[in-house]
Amino acid sequence: MEVKRSSNVKTAVSVAVPFVLLAVMIGYVFGPGSELIDYGILLPDISIEKIEFVDSEIIATVRNTGPISVDVVMADINDRIYPAAIEPDKHLERFQSAIVRIPFEWNEGEPYAVGLTVDDGTRFEKRVDAAAPSIQPTIEMISYFAVIGTYVGIIPVLIGLLWFPFISKLSRNKYKFFLALTVGLLLFLGISSAEEAIKISAENLSDVFNGVLLVATVAIVSFLALNYAGEKLKERAGASKLAGPVAIALMIAIGIGLHNFGEGLAIGAAIVLGEAALGAFLIVGFALHNTTEGFAIAAPMARTKLMIGRLAAMGMIAGVPAIFGAWVGGFVYSPFAAVIFLAIGAGAIFQVIVSIMRWIQNEEGKLSNGSVLAGIAVGMMIMYITSILV
Amino acid sequence: MFTNRQKMSVVLLIVSLGFVGYLVFPAMDITAQDKPETFVTHSGTVVQTTGDILDPVYTIQEVEFDPLQYLREFDYGEVSYLEDGTTLREFTIVAEDDKIMEIAPGIFYNVWTFNGTVPGPTIRATEGDLVRIHFTNNGSKEHTMHFHGNHPAEMDGIFEIVGSGGGQFTYEFIAGPVGVHPYHCHVMPVEEHIGHGLYGVFIVDPKEGRQQADEMVMMLNGFDTDFDGENNLYAANTIPFYYQHHPIQVNTNELIRVYVVNMVGFDPINNFHLHGTLYRYYPTGTDLIPSEFTDMTTFSQSERGILEFEYEYTGRYMFHAHFTEFSEKGWTGLFYVKDGSQLNKEVYDYGS
Repeated sequence: MEVKRSSNVKTAVSVAVPFVLLAVMIGYVFGPGSELIDYGILLPDISIEKIEFVDSEIIATVRNTGPISVDVVMADINDRIYPAAIEPDKHLERFQSAIVRIPFEWNEGEPYAVGLTVDDGTRFEKRVDAAAPSIQPTIEMISYFAVIGTYVGIIPVLIGLLWFPFISKLSRNKYKFFLALTVGLLLFLGISSAEEAIKISAENLSDVFNGVLLVATVAIVSFLALNYAGEKLKERAGASKLAGPVAIALMIAIGIGLHNFGEGLAIGAAIVLGEAALGAFLIVGFALHNTTEGFAIAAPMARTKLMIGRLAAMGMIAGVPAIFGAWVGGFVYSPFAAVIFLAIGAGAIFQVIVSIMRWIQNEEGKLSNGSVLAGIAVGMMIMYITSILV
Repeated sequence: MFTNRQKMSVVLLIVSLGFVGYLVFPAMDITAQDKPETFVTHSGTVVQTTGDILDPVYTIQEVEFDPLQYLREFDYGEVSYLEDGTTLREFTIVAEDDKIMEIAPGIFYNVWTFNGTVPGPTIRATEGDLVRIHFTNNGSKEHTMHFHGNHPAEMDGIFEIVGSGGGQFTYEFIAGPVGVHPYHCHVMPVEEHIGHGLYGVFIVDPKEGRQQADEMVMMLNGFDTDFDGENNLYAANTIPFYYQHHPIQVNTNELIRVYVVNMVGFDPINNFHLHGTLYRYYPTGTDLIPSEFTDMTTFSQSERGILEFEYEYTGRYMFHAHFTEFSEKGWTGLFYVKDGSQLNKEVYDYGS
C-alpha cells in the first residue's frame, strides 16, 4: 500500500512537471519576456455572424474573432452611418459577442449591408441578399417548421422504405448491388455534409475558428465515437443472427438522422436568412433526395424478415431530426452550431459506410466484387443527379 | 460506483460542452447596466437600450478639435512693415505626424497636423502683403507646405523637401491673387499626406476689402480610417455631424460669407447644398462679381469658392453634401438663424 501510494505520487509529479515548466515559460513570455515577441502589429478582427430584421430595427450579432480586445464604436447600413445601441456593451474581449441594434425602416426583399467600425477606424461588413422579417417562435411558426420537416424528412424516408419488399426478393448478387448502392448514396451524403459545413464556416465563421480543421476534428471524433458505440451495440445484441443487419440499419438511421438534422438547419436558416425562394427549392430537392435515404435503411434489413414496426421506427429516427433541425435553424440559428451538427453528421455517415462495407466483406469475403463496385458508382450518380434539383 | 475513467470522461464532456456553448450563444453578461439608456434616431424615434449607445450624431461629445472655434478663427500673422510700407505677415507653422485624435466618437486616427490641428490654421493676408512662413518639420517623415497662388518656383514646396525631426524652411511670397486657396503638404504620396490631414485654408483679401459680414471657413474633408481607398467619414471641418448637434448661430438679414475649400481625397467630387436661401457664388473668390445665384455647387478635388447669403426667416436650416452618401457619413450641419433685430435682448442658450 505504502509502495503504491509513493509510486502514485511519483506518477503525479512526472505528469505535472512538464506542465509546470510550460506554465513558467508561458508566464515568462507574457510577463518579463514580453519584449522578445513584441514584433508585428496585431490587427483587430470582428465577425458579424447573424443579421436579423425585426420591426423598424436591424439586429446584428457580432463577435470579436481577432487577437486583441476591441470597442465597437459605429454602425452603418449600406455604408450610411446610423445611431445604434450595442448590448451588453461595446467593449468586446476575444471571442466575446454582442448584439448591435440599429433602428432602421428596412424594406422586405431588398439587399442590405451592415457595417460596424471599431475604435481604430477599421470597418467590417456583412451583406444580406434579401431582407425578410425575422421569425419568432410562435405556435404557428413552430408547426410550420414541423410540417416542413415532415415533408423533407419523415415522408420521403418512409416512402423510400416501401422499396423493402422489392429488395427482399432480389437474388444475392443483385442484393449486394443494392447494398453497395446504399454505400454510394451515403458516401455522397457524407461528402455533401462536410462540404456544407465547410461552406458555412467559410461564409459565416471567422478564420480564427479554422473552419476546415474544425469540421475534420468534429467529423473524426463523431466517427470514432459512433464506431465505439456501434461495436458495443453489436456486442450487446450478442450472436443473434438478426443483430448484424438490424444494428447496421439502426446505425444508418442514426447517421441519416444527423444528416437530416443538418438539412433541417439549412432549410430553417435559409428561410430566416431571407432566402425564402431558396428555402422552397431546398424543400422540394431534399424531399426527392431523401427518398433514397429510406432505401438505404431498408437495404441491409432486406435479408431478414419484414419487421414493419422496427422499419417504421428507423424511418422516424432518420426523418424526425429534420423537424428539430428546422426549429433550431429557424429560431436559434447559429452558424457555429450548424457547422458542428453537419460535421457530426458527416462523421456518422462515414462510420455507417465503414459498417456496411465490413458487413459486405464478412458476407462476401471480398469487396472488389463487380456488383459492389457498380452499386457504389450508381449510388453516387443517383445522388448527384437528384442533388442538382436542390 | 463509477470508474475513474467514466468520471474523467463526464468531466471532459461537460468542459467541452461548456466551451462549445460559450461559442455558440452570445455571452450573457450579468453586469449589464440596470438603468436603460435612450437615444434618438435620425427620424426622431426614441429607442431604449440596456447596453451602450453608438451615436455619431446626438450625443454631446468632447472633441480635441473644436469645429466651432475653427469656423471663425483667422490667423493674420505677426504684422510689421517694410521700409517701403509693405505689410509683412509672419507665421510659424510646425508639422507633426504622430498625433492620435478621436475624430468621431470612439474612432481614433493618426492625424498629421500643421500647428496641431486638422485643418491647419486659416492663414489670411491682403493682396500685396509679404507673407513669410517659418516652417518647422517636427514629424518623422518629410513634409513641405505648398500654397496655391502666385509665387516663385522655389517657394512652391515641391522640390524643397523639408527633412524630418526639425527640418526648417522659410516660405516667402507676395500674397495673391485675391481669393480663397488651399495649402497642403506636397510630399509623395501626396494622397497619403493630405489624407492624414496636412492641409489648411489660405485667404487673400482684396486691398479694398470686402463688405462687412459674418465670415466663416468650411474645409470639406474626409478620412479613410481603414486605408481601403475609400473615405469612412466626411465632414465640414473634420468632425462628422458636429454642426448637426452644435448648429452654427447666425442672424437674420446679416450677410454671411463662407469660404469653402474641398480637400476630400479619393472621391472625384464633393458638393455643397444650402437650405432656405440661395447664395451668390464666387468661384475661387478671384472675381468680385458672382458667377451664380444658386443653392448647390459642385467641387472637384481642391476646388473652392466663396458663398455670400442672408437668411430672411429664423429657424434651423441644413447645409450638407447633396451627395447623400457624404452627408450620411458626417458631412452635414445646421445654421440656427436668430432674429437679428432681437439679438441683444436674447440670451444665447442653444447648444450650450
